[in-house]
Amino acid sequence: MTTAVTIPRHGGTGGRTAVAARARQVVKAYGAGETRVVALDHVDVDIARGQFTAIMGPSGSGKSTLMHCLAGLDTVTSGQIHLDETEITGLKDKKLTQLRRDRIGFIFQAFNLLPTLNALENITLPMDIAGRKPDAAWLRQVVETVGLAERLKHRPTELSGGQQQRVAVARALAARPEIIFGDEPTGNLDSRAGAEVLSFLRRSVDELGQTIVMVTHDPVAASYADRVLYLADGRIVDEMLSPTADQVLDRMKDFDSRGRTS
Amino acid sequence: MTVWKTSRRNFFAHKGRMALSAVAVLLSVAFVCGTLVFTDTMNTTFDKLFAATSADVTVSPRSPEDNDRLPGNGKPVTLPASAVEQVGKATGVKDAEGAVNSMSVTVVDSHNKNMGSTTGAPTIAGNWTKNELRSMEITSGHAPRGPTEVMVDADTADKHDLKIGDELRTIAATGDINAKISGIATFKVTNPGAAIVYFDTVTAQTKLLGRPDVFSLISVTAESGVTDAQLKRNVATALGDTSAYKLQTQKEAADANKDSMGSFLDVMKYAMLGFAGIAFLVGIFLIVNTFSMLVAQRTREIGLMRAIGSSRKQVNRSVLIEALFLGIVGSVLGVGAGVGLAVGLMKLMGAMGMDLSTKDLTVAWTTPVVGLALGIVVTVVAAYIPARRAGKISPMAALRDAGTPADGRAGRVRAAIGLVLTLAGGAALLAATRADKSSEGSLFLGVGVVLTLIGFIVIGPLLAGFVVRVLSALMLRMFGPVGRLAERNALRNPRRTGATGAALMIGLALVACLSVVGSSMVASATEELDKSVGADFIVEPAGGNPTLLVDQAVKSLESVPDIEHLTGYKVVGAGLTAPDGTTENKALAAVDPTYQEDVRRETVAGKLADAYDKDAMSVGDTYATKHHLKVGDRLTVAFKGGETAKLRLAAITSDDVNIDKGAMYINIATAAQYVPADSLPENMMMFAKAEDGKEKEAYAALKDALVKYPQYEVKNQADFKQQLKDQIGQLLNIVYGLLALAIIVAVLGVVNTLALSVVERTREIGLMRAIGLSRRQLRRMIRLESVVIAVFGALLGLGLGMGWGTAAQKLLALEGLGVLEIPWPTILTVFVASAFVGLFAALVPAFRAGRMNVLNAIATD
Repeated sequence: MTTAVTIPRHGGTGGRTAVAARARQVVKAYGAGETRVVALDHVDVDIARGQFTAIMGPSGSGKSTLMHCLAGLDTVTSGQIHLDETEITGLKDKKLTQLRRDRIGFIFQAFNLLPTLNALENITLPMDIAGRKPDAAWLRQVVETVGLAERLKHRPTELSGGQQQRVAVARALAARPEIIFGDEPTGNLDSRAGAEVLSFLRRSVDELGQTIVMVTHDPVAASYADRVLYLADGRIVDEMLSPTADQVLDRMKDFDSRGRTS
Repeated sequence: MTVWKTSRRNFFAHKGRMALSAVAVLLSVAFVCGTLVFTDTMNTTFDKLFAATSADVTVSPRSPEDNDRLPGNGKPVTLPASAVEQVGKATGVKDAEGAVNSMSVTVVDSHNKNMGSTTGAPTIAGNWTKNELRSMEITSGHAPRGPTEVMVDADTADKHDLKIGDELRTIAATGDINAKISGIATFKVTNPGAAIVYFDTVTAQTKLLGRPDVFSLISVTAESGVTDAQLKRNVATALGDTSAYKLQTQKEAADANKDSMGSFLDVMKYAMLGFAGIAFLVGIFLIVNTFSMLVAQRTREIGLMRAIGSSRKQVNRSVLIEALFLGIVGSVLGVGAGVGLAVGLMKLMGAMGMDLSTKDLTVAWTTPVVGLALGIVVTVVAAYIPARRAGKISPMAALRDAGTPADGRAGRVRAAIGLVLTLAGGAALLAATRADKSSEGSLFLGVGVVLTLIGFIVIGPLLAGFVVRVLSALMLRMFGPVGRLAERNALRNPRRTGATGAALMIGLALVACLSVVGSSMVASATEELDKSVGADFIVEPAGGNPTLLVDQAVKSLESVPDIEHLTGYKVVGAGLTAPDGTTENKALAAVDPTYQEDVRRETVAGKLADAYDKDAMSVGDTYATKHHLKVGDRLTVAFKGGETAKLRLAAITSDDVNIDKGAMYINIATAAQYVPADSLPENMMMFAKAEDGKEKEAYAALKDALVKYPQYEVKNQADFKQQLKDQIGQLLNIVYGLLALAIIVAVLGVVNTLALSVVERTREIGLMRAIGLSRRQLRRMIRLESVVIAVFGALLGLGLGMGWGTAAQKLLALEGLGVLEIPWPTILTVFVASAFVGLFAALVPAFRAGRMNVLNAIATD
């Protein structure tokens, strides 16, 4: 079991700790007795603030489960998860919801936007729900960064898949969450649109100091990250810093062959 | 066969989503079957009762009432005792008994409490004969002997806790009979409510008929082997001249009795079936919505079926087969529930004093057939449009990643059709308000109501868009982003919102319309009472029983002090011949001259006071115009049971009224001149005016005077108005109660739409929860959407209903309904209540949405 080491590449953490989220001995199991399936097996992980972290692994490795647990969407069987100084394991639904609303941003693979709201309304939705006024200057900056200024009044059905994901990115950024979780955010996009979205994520880390955790199985997507964590059978088996697509691919092939031979 | 299989699997896979539709079918079918079973059971009960109580052949006197439609005079109609002997000598007669039978009696206990039925069933007094043993048996004590003994039926005894030895006073037109209970007789069949007392024959003759040598009818029993028809012929031969008699076999007598009962039952049956029809109509919306949503949710699946080779027809049929399953399940349960409902209704009637026995429960074979056929046909027909839409789904839908396709904007064609219908309906309603004749006006009204209703249903989706936006601006905005989400959700599928709201609209439109007409009736009547009634008090039979005032009660009233005048009001039948030679049977109002102060009438010619002169009368202007009468003309009046007189027309009254519309007045003295005292009817009601400043004392004294006669009551003007209001209120409440079924189905529709929408929006809800929408906010969002739909339906319904009601009032103004009164408290209550109904409807869907697992909802499979 590897304990990931945090290497902050950017300053500006503003007195906060360098670790945005951390998991300790996290176990997630489904069922009981013979049908018991362990999705996460005593995982320890630190997510560095201001970094872009990718979580990779084959299907069923537990990567999505890990992300869901870190994001407060799922509960753990045992272990602790902290978001900054807040322990989120054991929080009641109400507190968890508030936490997701105020401190976390999400980008899902598909179905990120409410069809009844236009792009701008979708972007400001988390703040609207919280009853907060969005910071106008920041909002303008985010919208310009993702290049949606012209399309703010459009409904999701009037946007392309890439545009929809960019709206989702803008929504995640607009509320200035401590951490953004992406669940295969480019999984449904062609490579060009995917690249566009990933560059935005990269830029938000570089220019805005945003912390991002992304689950993906695409080596190219992972290459945008500062750090890649590899999961297999519910454990973190490896990590890679400043990866390139080729390196990632090689490493995965490596796991594959090891998996087959072992 | 595969179509069947997939349909069946689909049906059972989605049974939860079908549940509310099934309940809607169930309720409507149950109401239809319940009504049929209940009315059939009532019919059976009366059939058995009448069959059991009638003799093989009954001989009764032929009374004038049998020929014309004039009211009786309240005096007993008799045949001579000698006729019994004559009949007894006829061949084939085993037994002929003279029977005494009077329905114009009231029986009270020692506390002057009326022993009669409260449900309109008669009180009957008679003599105890062998014929009664067909349907009754003495279960305690003995048959009455002598003038101070009376026997009572067991149901009445039970209801009023009467025991042998208790004192009963029977109030008859010929005087009071005080007697102690000597025995109790029990019906062998179900007696739905008539109170019956028996005396011995002599007492019954002298006290009920006034003479010892007469009877009311003859009960004839046949010797064995003689048919009733044969017996009837023999009896006719024995009587010789039968012009004074009416002969009926058992079957004829039972049928005649049933006819008078049957028309009442039919009215009730068709009224209730009408309300069941409304519930069905509302249920159609629910079913259409359900299948539309199921088809929409299954778009990809259906696309796949099409892609792998299902034909349009097969897809179409598979949806219809599911509807068939739904119809069958709902109807079968509905038929069962209907029988239960009928039993419940019988129990309810029992609680109100009408005894019905479940032993007589009648489920005709037609009942389940009608119930099943209706339920299944309505369901399948309602599912036809969604089924057709399913057939049109292209195979490409399987490949598209669209979640739920938007329903699309309501079409322009639809808008145009709806608008045209609504405008045409509005024009018809307007025409109804301007109509001169009520017959053509009511045609316009009917057409207008139907067209505006259909028009509103058709443009419902458009109106939904507009109304929801307005509502949202008024009430949702204050709920912030949650309100906005609710607004968008209500707007996203206008057709669905429109149909859900329209279902609620139908019931509420009827409620609003009837409440407008009802309160206008009260307002109009009150206004007229204020304008024209000068009497302080009116004495009438209590509880609407058509009993005439017996002499004893009149005497008691006459002795009341502080009364300026007391006016008698009799209805006297007469054949009236106008100078143009036409003869009509008319009911004349024979009143004391003081009546012109009690009820002020406008005259169009002559002076009403003159009509009370000797040999004078008045008529209404409708009759006068029809027969070209003028003051001074002479009318030939053939008094029923009396002589024919020539009366001078002294006044013509205006018929533009509700009270005494078309009445023809004569002085009681004039009537008494031509009608012998024993044929002159008793007072139907009386009016009284107190001396100035003595109103209170007079009112109390009048009440005192009637303590011994609980079948009558005295009312002052305030009481009278209140009673009028109560009566209309009661009638409206019954109608509202019956409409409640349609409204319940509509509310189920709101629940259904929300529940299915929640399922449909699973991923959306998951997304919102993931990005921080709290459970409370989510539930509030769904509740607000529900409230908006309900309030939308209420607005449409109330608006439409008030329009209908106003048009109806303007039309009925021709019939004297001159005052329009919109019952704002009722309207507002319904409006506010509909918002609460919305909250209530959202209860379960909101709870389920809140419980939804966020992860499952967003899982990207």
